[in-house]
Amino acid sequence: MKRIAIDPITRLEGHGKIMIFLNEQGAVDNAYLQIPELRGFEKFVEGLPVEEIPRVVTRICGV
Amino acid sequence: MSFEPKIVGFLCNWCSYTGADLAGTARIKYAPNVRSIRVMCSGRVDPIFVVKAFAEGADGVLIAGCHPGDCHYQEGNYKALRRYLLLKRILPEYGIEPQRLRLEWIAASEGERFAQVVNEFTEQVRNLGPMNFKASLFESMKNDVVVHEEHAPQGTGEQQ
Amino acid sequence: MKLKIAIYWGAACGGCDVAILDTHEKLLEIADMADIYLWPIAMDFKYSDVRAMKDKYLDAVLFSGGVRNSENEEIALLLRRKAKTMIALGACAHLGGVPGLANMYTREDIMNRVYLESESIDNQGKTLPLENTRVDGHDLELPRFYNVVKTLSQVVDVDYTIPGCPPASLQIYSALGLIADDMLPKTGSVIGAGDRALCDECPRKKGEKTITRIYRTHEKLPDAETCFLEQGFICLGPATRSGCGSRCIKSWTPCRGCYGPLDDVSDQGIKMLSALASVLEPKEEREINAILDTVVDPLRTFHRFSLASSMLRRRKA
Repeated sequence: MKRIAIDPITRLEGHGKIMIFLNEQGAVDNAYLQIPELRGFEKFVEGLPVEEIPRVVTRICGV
Repeated sequence: MSFEPKIVGFLCNWCSYTGADLAGTARIKYAPNVRSIRVMCSGRVDPIFVVKAFAEGADGVLIAGCHPGDCHYQEGNYKALRRYLLLKRILPEYGIEPQRLRLEWIAASEGERFAQVVNEFTEQVRNLGPMNFKASLFESMKNDVVVHEEHAPQGTGEQQ
Repeated sequence: MKLKIAIYWGAACGGCDVAILDTHEKLLEIADMADIYLWPIAMDFKYSDVRAMKDKYLDAVLFSGGVRNSENEEIALLLRRKAKTMIALGACAHLGGVPGLANMYTREDIMNRVYLESESIDNQGKTLPLENTRVDGHDLELPRFYNVVKTLSQVVDVDYTIPGCPPASLQIYSALGLIADDMLPKTGSVIGAGDRALCDECPRKKGEKTITRIYRTHEKLPDAETCFLEQGFICLGPATRSGCGSRCIKSWTPCRGCYGPLDDVSDQGIKMLSALASVLEPKEEREINAILDTVVDPLRTFHRFSLASSMLRRRKA
């Protein structure tokens, strides 16, 4: 089973990689998109004063 | 063998350090756990010193200054009081018991009082247990290491 | 001789990359002075291309984003090897940034919230991300999610820092100019920013500070001219480096410290604690506590961008 990695995927915002598995005939057996990133905004905004939230969640994405 | 707290004490030159000195010359026996640092005024104590003391291994921090109204520099001790009260609120947010930080007004003549404060505070910190800041930080980071060296991101190309 | 540079992101939002793009037509000048060998947001280079380079092949790396997982750290180590100069770009690489606030929680807290408890997630199988999985006979890996967010300088030697969230575009441009002209100051310096506090640059009028209560930013309308702190709004200006152009202040918003501390300050948030406590009015414990009751969420306000770089680094487990 051969594995081809496209790492990182590019020209978008965020981290990602694609793993392509080939069978003995060289045809694609399966391919997987993986997202190797997480920052946890869902958790760490808990308890912040509500008027501060706009300035915090805008840091989820700068694009 | 109970644990011996390490307490950093910031003592102001004119009142509390002199008071501590008096405890010494009067041969008063008291707990040896405070490492004294003489500052000119309790108002000189930057909260960064307090946090640094905890970060570097202190189990407790004592700030001692002149009684209100008696500060050699007029109002330095009030500044120390304000900083101390705000520090007391931020320490529990860091997960540190606020009782590990103490502020006392100790006059130059109060040698007995200095000894009493040190004994009391040492026992209080002993009951709180060791802070072990560095050990707990390393413990919380012990798994934060690079993995998958053999499967490290290889980019495009073939892999087995 | 054109510079060879790489631009990379760890636990980032892309804002620093957009700040580079926001140099607008000056991007053409940047393209004249440098060839880019890695820039995931804009160009299709792969990690294998970087691994194939000789050590110190690149002149400079601009690394934005913090170190949140093992891949961020690994690529930081890789780029450090392949580059002569490592530059921390933006608040996350410099101080941990907003994602550093995750240091108030543990890895387990975050995983549980995101994948199991979140109201908008549908995860019947209670699947959590794993470092190693086998799906239909195929082996897959994900990086390790760290328990503690780290700054770039906590994992590699950083030569220069361009601070800000994001750094002002013109500041990035002038910092690149310093590199191109070989006019960088001594190693370890912050570049693309001032060496005085924000108050020095701030257009608001500063007078005597006698604060008797703190207001949250929605509790009253500020007046047009006076210093925010004087009006009782927490503003991190006194503890923050200048260089941003006071863009928040000019938008009627008090500073939250994204440009980081001044030189020789080991903990920006605690410095702000000191600054705020110093300018409160009362001398009597009961009155002081009454004002402090109006200071909401002090730790995450003083350390909004700098928690990961603070002396205590995270909430004690």
